[in-house]
Amino acid sequence: MKFLLNIILVGFCLGNLIACGGGSTTKIVEPVIKPPVPPQPVVDHSGLTPLTGDTILPEEYLTGGAATVFVDNKDAFGSRPRMITDNFKHDGFFTAGDHLFRTKHTDIGPLLNNPVCQNCHISDGRGQLPISPEHPMLSMLFKLGDETGAADPIYGNQLQPFAVQSFDGGDISAGLAVYDGSINGDELVGEAYPYVEYKTITGEYPDGNSFELRAPIYKIRDLSFGPFTEQIRFSPRLAPGVYGAGLLGAIPIKNLLALVDENDADGDGVSGRASMVTDVISGETVLGRFAYKAQNPTVLQQISAAYQGDMGITTSVFTAEPCEKNQESCHFVAEREIKTDASTDVSDKELALVEFYSRVLGVPARRGYDATNNVWHEDISKGRELFFAANCIGCHTPRHITGEAAGSVLGELTLLSLEPNAQPIELLSNQEIFPYTDLLLHDMGGSCSITRETADEQLCSDGAECLYVQRCQGLADDLIQGDASGTEWKTPALWGIGLVQTVNPNSTFLHDGRARTIEEAVLWHEGEALTSKNNFMKLSESERLQLLAFVESL
Amino acid sequence: MKFNSITKITAALIVACTLTACGGADDGDDGAQGIAGVNGAPGANGINGVSSFVTRDDVLKTNANIAYAAYSDSLFAAISLRDSINIFVASPTEANFSAAKQSWLASREPYGQTEVYRFRGGPIDTNADGSEGGVEGAVNAWPLGEAVIDYVAGQVDGDDGAATLVGTNVINSTETIDQALLESLFEKNGDADVTTGYHAIEFLLWGQDLNADLSGAGVRDNTPGQRPLTDYALSADCTSGTGNVTTPNTCVRRGQYLQVVADVLIKDLTTVVEAWEPQAGEHYQKFVEGGDVSLGRILEGMGRLSYGELGSERINIALINNSQEDEHSCFSDNTHRDIFLNAKGVQNTFNASYTRINGEIVDGASIHDLLVAEGHHVLANQLRGSLENTMAAATVIDTKAKSGIPFDVLTATDIEQPNVVAVIAGLVAQTDDIELVRDALNVNTGDLRQDGSTDIE
Repeated sequence: MKFLLNIILVGFCLGNLIACGGGSTTKIVEPVIKPPVPPQPVVDHSGLTPLTGDTILPEEYLTGGAATVFVDNKDAFGSRPRMITDNFKHDGFFTAGDHLFRTKHTDIGPLLNNPVCQNCHISDGRGQLPISPEHPMLSMLFKLGDETGAADPIYGNQLQPFAVQSFDGGDISAGLAVYDGSINGDELVGEAYPYVEYKTITGEYPDGNSFELRAPIYKIRDLSFGPFTEQIRFSPRLAPGVYGAGLLGAIPIKNLLALVDENDADGDGVSGRASMVTDVISGETVLGRFAYKAQNPTVLQQISAAYQGDMGITTSVFTAEPCEKNQESCHFVAEREIKTDASTDVSDKELALVEFYSRVLGVPARRGYDATNNVWHEDISKGRELFFAANCIGCHTPRHITGEAAGSVLGELTLLSLEPNAQPIELLSNQEIFPYTDLLLHDMGGSCSITRETADEQLCSDGAECLYVQRCQGLADDLIQGDASGTEWKTPALWGIGLVQTVNPNSTFLHDGRARTIEEAVLWHEGEALTSKNNFMKLSESERLQLLAFVESL
Repeated sequence: MKFNSITKITAALIVACTLTACGGADDGDDGAQGIAGVNGAPGANGINGVSSFVTRDDVLKTNANIAYAAYSDSLFAAISLRDSINIFVASPTEANFSAAKQSWLASREPYGQTEVYRFRGGPIDTNADGSEGGVEGAVNAWPLGEAVIDYVAGQVDGDDGAATLVGTNVINSTETIDQALLESLFEKNGDADVTTGYHAIEFLLWGQDLNADLSGAGVRDNTPGQRPLTDYALSADCTSGTGNVTTPNTCVRRGQYLQVVADVLIKDLTTVVEAWEPQAGEHYQKFVEGGDVSLGRILEGMGRLSYGELGSERINIALINNSQEDEHSCFSDNTHRDIFLNAKGVQNTFNASYTRINGEIVDGASIHDLLVAEGHHVLANQLRGSLENTMAAATVIDTKAKSGIPFDVLTATDIEQPNVVAVIAGLVAQTDDIELVRDALNVNTGDLRQDGSTDIE
């Protein structure tokens, strides 16, 4: 009862803030985009009073606004917000979308990474690394390209290590790659077998404490369609969490573009570029928000791309099977695939259910907050101050507000049909949220090299024993994707990060899961984030723990 | 031991039945002076034969008493199932195999009617610490991770070869099969690894539904799963699919799995029965004292089961995916009963009447009567009618299955199969009416769970 009152008060304050933003009572002041930038902005990119390091707003507890869920166990990333359960129809669409998300579709493949959404996004959270090089990658994939970012002429832009027979109920190794195994036209196996080995590197904080990091070495063997293009680059990616995607998709584009500082005009060492991509449905050039290099602008395009590239499932958005032009045996198998729907493997109705589910999955509330007394754990409030002071917020923008979250372009869901003119999703609209990302691209430094080596590290040029080996310095992957260079990454959201290993104890951090802890993830930051990383390292041990306690509470 | 626990439950049930008798609206003994004595004001007139003294608290109490009866019946039936399994495993004859399957089917009858007690913060989906979860997944989750448990043959539309993700299946491994093992494997590698509950037993009894050509990909027919009796042979005759390493021990382990998983089911159901026990049950107490919050929870369970679980996931997904894996009881072809019984549970709740497996009827103050008493007699009749429409449509599915056209064959005929669509349409319409009732009674649940607790305040 007391808390209910609290919520109402919070709502009241929020309403006030929005109405008062910019000091005008008649309209919300547009955020300033064009230089010259005023020295002391009175409003932030959302038109709100800027956050400060020393004052925590009560609503920060409600990470996802109305889409916040109050679950801190292994279901933390897979729960439905109260507004969904209260609406029996939305509840039903969520249930159906959840079912599709965690069960295998028919007509998978012929080439794929995994047949089930949930097998990569484990419990709607992150994937995990294979337990050894002998175990195939099931929730991690490799993006491919040449030195210009163009797709490999044979393998395309993504490596699929499995062919469909791996998931026929028998032996998962049945469809794994065999050297030259797919080149004769009618037999198909996975494209290649990627794996990872780690080299330990050590470092020291200025206070003398030491740390260890795992530097990955990526290797690819058993190419089944012949060699890669000469200038092949590859980029391993661990499946990210799904929750909160609908909220990120609803942040007004102008608010995000207001954070762009391509030439570092404010001189803080952090720039931030927009990844402009094509919305394949509207044909317009819009801001990319999803995937590690912000390649996809909408949740719908993101899940359709995953269906096609990761699972070999066609949709009305991406109608082609995952077979490249020259992969004859892939086309051979694809033609024999049973179609459950006349045109595509997944119907628009199923796609709309999975889209709805992915959009409205709740974001877990912060931990370490006593809602009754409106008090934060001391380490967390201190850690927040340090996080702000170290300018981690230069990229990990704490707060955004969402605009109106449009209904699905596929149509309004009902149990029996899709109807035109979908209504906006109230749950996701006009919410004050705390994702800790600017969704922009940042140069994180580093570089990579790819060599041809045998297993015992002797240089070679071709043959079954000759591996492709990638070694990198720092976080770079060397792969150009759209606007993103080989050293740029989209700032990932931090919400829920403290529950990653509660949801899945085997999960790890960063784009390729190399960081075993949040501390290791911080220590890998370089490039634009170097100053912030150094600021972190210069803290005392207890201050570092406070900063990490704050991140854990997100 | 077993006898004792049943006696205890029976004793508690007698108390429950007594309570029901007293908790009703009208004890017929108001007396000539009215309930408030000589100083009382005249009460409102009853409407259409319904007492105007049905109160919200009365409705809660009857609802809780029915929960206790239905979960207790589920427990009794699970105990009978375990006994049949023990007999079958010790003596794997055709007759005992058939008796075990009959026991499983019988165990689903009361359980299906309890599912209306899901989605409302009840003990079935709440952990001991009050967080969301509970034993529901372990009891009734599907689709099953059958490949984690035992051999699977070929591709039965939709099943994945998850077994190899953990190396091998449990029956074909050397790990000791006990409760700890099965519980540790449950959802170990994500939600798909369902290793316990009704559907695990169903799979171990019936096996995969491979249809007549045994390929799993052929035309669907009216047969359920085809597991041979020799899968339990205690001799060199032991079988384990084709191409799998098989020793007599394989069949022994399969029998062990069956027995252990039945014990886990009993253990899980016992916790739910205990939580609903009148007087001693923790949830029972909180629930009957929960006022409008509890009333809102009843309607939430009705609405969410109708639309989300039954209409959307169990029926509509099976229809649009046309996949046996998406069928609730896919091994035994008993999905028609799941549908009928789930819908029946919603109707039971509205009418506050439940017929026990021994034929006794538990009834009392209903939402129907409450609506009439509070002046919403048109709406009371409207929801009564929409529930009846759904039951009529569900009866068609049930009848077709019993006369040789099981649900999986029905959904395979057409994406707009009219009998299936009629049930979905019925559930959609009744959900709309449940929402109207929730509004009329003004028990919209709003921000109830914003404090993170699933407990009733």
